[in-house]
Amino acid sequence: MDQGKIIAGIEQALSDVLQRPVSDLPSQTRLFEDLHLDSTSILELLMALEDTVGIEVDPENLEMSDFTSLETLATYVSANLNDDA
Amino acid sequence: MDTSYLRTLKSKLLGTPAGRLVFVCNFEAENWWAEGYVGLPAPRFSAPTSVVGRMEELGVLLAGADDVLILKHPLDPGYREYLSGLGLPVPSVLVPENVRPDRSTTEDVLDSPELLRQLSALGAEGAHLLPMGTTVLEQKLTDRCGLPLAVPDAATFARVNSKIYGRRLTAAVGLRGIPGDCCESRDELAAVLRRRRPALTGGTRMVVKDAYGVSGKGLLLLDRPETADRLLRMVDRRAERTGDDRLHVVVEEWQDKSHDLNYQLTVAGDGGITLDFVKRAITENGVHKGHLMPVALTAGQRAELEHAAELVGGRLYDDGYTGIVGVDAILTTADVLYPVLEINARLNMSSYQGSVTEHCQPPGLVAFARHYPLRLPAPVGFDELAGALAPVLHRDGPERFIITCFGTVNADADRPPPFDGRLYALLVAEDQAGLTALDDAARAALAHLAPREH
Repeated sequence: MDQGKIIAGIEQALSDVLQRPVSDLPSQTRLFEDLHLDSTSILELLMALEDTVGIEVDPENLEMSDFTSLETLATYVSANLNDDA
Repeated sequence: MDTSYLRTLKSKLLGTPAGRLVFVCNFEAENWWAEGYVGLPAPRFSAPTSVVGRMEELGVLLAGADDVLILKHPLDPGYREYLSGLGLPVPSVLVPENVRPDRSTTEDVLDSPELLRQLSALGAEGAHLLPMGTTVLEQKLTDRCGLPLAVPDAATFARVNSKIYGRRLTAAVGLRGIPGDCCESRDELAAVLRRRRPALTGGTRMVVKDAYGVSGKGLLLLDRPETADRLLRMVDRRAERTGDDRLHVVVEEWQDKSHDLNYQLTVAGDGGITLDFVKRAITENGVHKGHLMPVALTAGQRAELEHAAELVGGRLYDDGYTGIVGVDAILTTADVLYPVLEINARLNMSSYQGSVTEHCQPPGLVAFARHYPLRLPAPVGFDELAGALAPVLHRDGPERFIITCFGTVNADADRPPPFDGRLYALLVAEDQAGLTALDDAARAALAHLAPREH
């Protein structure tokens, strides 16, 4: 899956979780500070990502650094999709 | 002289209205009670913020002039002067000499010999420690310095604050409970989700809540069977990985609300129970935003809440609990009153409003205690904040806007800008329209300070 599709999948998942349209975010957008994700919304986001990019992730396996920004999350998703493949 | 609210609280907890309390407002208590319990799958890290910790400053307006409040950081001198200028009592503030940002305030106290010595002296003079809720840390504090607790021990608090305990209590005393189930293992969750599957398929939404989740946190909304399947797969993978199949959650049918309500009761040391107040809780997406008071209830609804308070308080007393209890209730769009959505046997947000409303909300007026989210490019001094809020702070007539917590404004000022802060305030007006106008004016004033949609 190319980076553009991954970003689009993450934005769709974020739209579901935040209950507002999310698109064309700068890649440096901070998930905690700018989008106000918390532990509850991270669980929802991971479930939504199963729908949009088909990745299965357990929250306990995440590191804080994976959730720094939209870009780091996209990198994480990309790496784990490749692992699955 | 303490407020009637505080004197009554002291009478119930200490047996005398003139007792002296040392407050520590440990808003992170649930995290400690949750130790040893397994909740929903969650990351091992949490959103980096100091705002929740700084909410301890809300204790300033509950404590009396002769009481003591322990804070991680000193009270801002400008804010102290502002409170004194309003004629509000300000307690003595004690600050640990050894403070670390990654610790709770009680942990800092435990590492501060000079403060421990002062607390020991206060204990010898007859003062009592009143935490928001006792955890192992406050237990350790009282053991270390001999300052006795005004409320029960950590084990009692942990036992009675589980949502599983709350559901079982509600059923045991015969109150109308939210349709749902308690789960203490992976297999119990699987069985519940299997049994509820037809309802989920039919459009009934369910919510899974951690036994020790706080308002709006540690919960997952299930709106279709696929989400339930995903949750169970995650729980299964974790159980496989850890070899531990325990799970402490409640699963409840989602209720479409007309109103969220919050009422407070106090269980006195002699077992006496009083319903202190009922407020309307304002929430957004399950997250607490504020309280409106008074709330309009029918005589039947009020009687039902009074009855519920008696039953809930009586059972808590039988189970060893004394002190303040906040209960969340819900009035559904179908006009059904569920008198117990959640029991929080500890001080609640609304508990901290009791003295300031007595000072600032004359009979017949309405009040709204709320917080304003801020997004700030740089720290804001109290004078700058007060200057921005001048249009609401200095009003003619009965309207009042009182800043009830300043420490949360700049709590995250050490983070890369822009950072988020919160301003807590109490708004008082003659009627709901007046409150709305005052609220709008406050938001407009804050927008000049922090350009952000609220």
